[in-house]
Amino acid sequence: MEKILRINKLSKRFGKIQAVDQLELEVAAGQVFGILGPNGSGKTTTLGMILDVIAPTAGSFKWFDQDDTVEARKSIGAILETPCFYPYLSAVQNLRVSAHIKKCGTDNIEKVLKQVGLFDRKDDKFKTYSLGMKQRLSIAAALLSNPPVLILDEPTNGLDPEGIAEVRNLIKEIAASGKTIIMASHLLDEVQKVCSHFCVLRKGKKLHEGNVSETLGEINKIEIAANDTVKLESIIQGFPGTSSYLKNGSSFLVTIKDGANAANLNDYCFEQGITLKTLFTQRNSLEQEFLKILREHD
Amino acid sequence: MIRVLKLEWLKIKNYRVFWILTIMYLLALVIITSGGMFFLEWLKSEGADFQGINPTIIPIYDFPDIWQNTTYLATFIKVLLAFIVIISVNNDVTYNTLRQNIIDGISKKEYIFSKLAFIVTMAAISTLFIFVLGFINGSIYSHVWGIEYIFDEMEFLVVFFYEVIIYCTLAFLLSLIIKKAGFVIVALFLYTLMFEPIITTIMINAPFFTEGPAPEIAQFFPIKALNNLISVPFGRYVFMEIQDNVPIKALTIATGWFIFYLSSIFYILNKRDLN
Repeated sequence: MEKILRINKLSKRFGKIQAVDQLELEVAAGQVFGILGPNGSGKTTTLGMILDVIAPTAGSFKWFDQDDTVEARKSIGAILETPCFYPYLSAVQNLRVSAHIKKCGTDNIEKVLKQVGLFDRKDDKFKTYSLGMKQRLSIAAALLSNPPVLILDEPTNGLDPEGIAEVRNLIKEIAASGKTIIMASHLLDEVQKVCSHFCVLRKGKKLHEGNVSETLGEINKIEIAANDTVKLESIIQGFPGTSSYLKNGSSFLVTIKDGANAANLNDYCFEQGITLKTLFTQRNSLEQEFLKILREHD
Repeated sequence: MIRVLKLEWLKIKNYRVFWILTIMYLLALVIITSGGMFFLEWLKSEGADFQGINPTIIPIYDFPDIWQNTTYLATFIKVLLAFIVIISVNNDVTYNTLRQNIIDGISKKEYIFSKLAFIVTMAAISTLFIFVLGFINGSIYSHVWGIEYIFDEMEFLVVFFYEVIIYCTLAFLLSLIIKKAGFVIVALFLYTLMFEPIITTIMINAPFFTEGPAPEIAQFFPIKALNNLISVPFGRYVFMEIQDNVPIKALTIATGWFIFYLSSIFYILNKRDLN
């Protein structure tokens, strides 16, 4: 697959602190790549380096397999930590500055402002915005040139629950349109909900890298049991949501497909004339995985 | 060039502080370059005379002397232009929009070029403004008239242009190093108009120093070097010998400083992490 980003032994030292340590990463086209890590694990520093705002101490990176990082940056939309705009300019005026730099024309400004829900306030000065609105404007700036790659550093930071849901949906929509997204977050739930791949950083070192759905392989496992074990087995085989199952003594561990859930299975069994006496759902979360990964490296 | 200039234009065109400072600067230019005759009238009313000469007949607005006279006076308020540069750079530093600009896709080098283009444009506008003002004042008061006089000694305008660029580049550098705009403004103002002039005057004139290398060293100070580009012209009206051209030595020293400022700006910005 085409590699969007290759990071090669990238390191950054701030005085005594090794913020990023020999980091190696590859992001392929179409991935939604989550960078996980506790606070201070080097997520933002890494994103800062690949965006050329922080000078690496050692190592290198390449965008789109080309050497010109300045040109590459024009096809990347990015938000990095706090939103930074001219407080005395309105949203539209600020986006004009971004559009001019990105050489992408100003036609998209209204569209992206509507996309992030700022259109009503487009002519108000940036300094009058709440933190959530500022964050929305930086997302708008990132989307402005309709870039194939997005870098999002804590994209839901400062947003209210409604805003968080909106931004997550926005990210999913963008990902569904085939764009590559690199996202840093300490909200594991967020990564689990939107990312396809992830890595875990701690103290600047990469501890783990993997595919979200593979890592959470045991997701949506349901343990069921009934008095009539034989009939139950045939019902499980007949249930359209079954992906695989495992007989475990008198109970079954059923792995169900995306879209199916425990209630469907329960209903189905009931319709087929069997009453479950046990129904447990087992759902591994990225949080458990994450804590496990951190523990393994202690 | 147009592209980087437009970037600066988008940043400042809706920024009220910029317009207030610009208008103040242009107004100050008008007053300082056109107020000469009023000043002489005032001297006359105060009963001053120069070896029996009526002050109002002193030909300060005669072509081509007018160019040296007005550019000399105008350099006193170049510090106002520097304030605009300081505020413009400082905004990008304190609001972190410099980082946003870079994330949006310019290089640090392009950023520096955009500020330099801004500086050059402001210097060009004030030079043009001075030319127009000088031309108007000269048309009103000059005792001589003719192409050969009007366009003589134009080098003072060129040097004024150059001096403003160097000085504003210094302001650019300072506001990158010191991130508090107010502090840079006060520091630059005091240093330019008080500290360095006092120090160099002492070094050049104090009996204790005149024997040693101090007077020579003083010529290398950054503001002194700029001030030396256009010498005090008014001595000529009391029949003193004055430097009525641009001294090559001062030009060389000033250029040396200019190169130093530019390379420092590139060095600092390239090394800096924009957190």
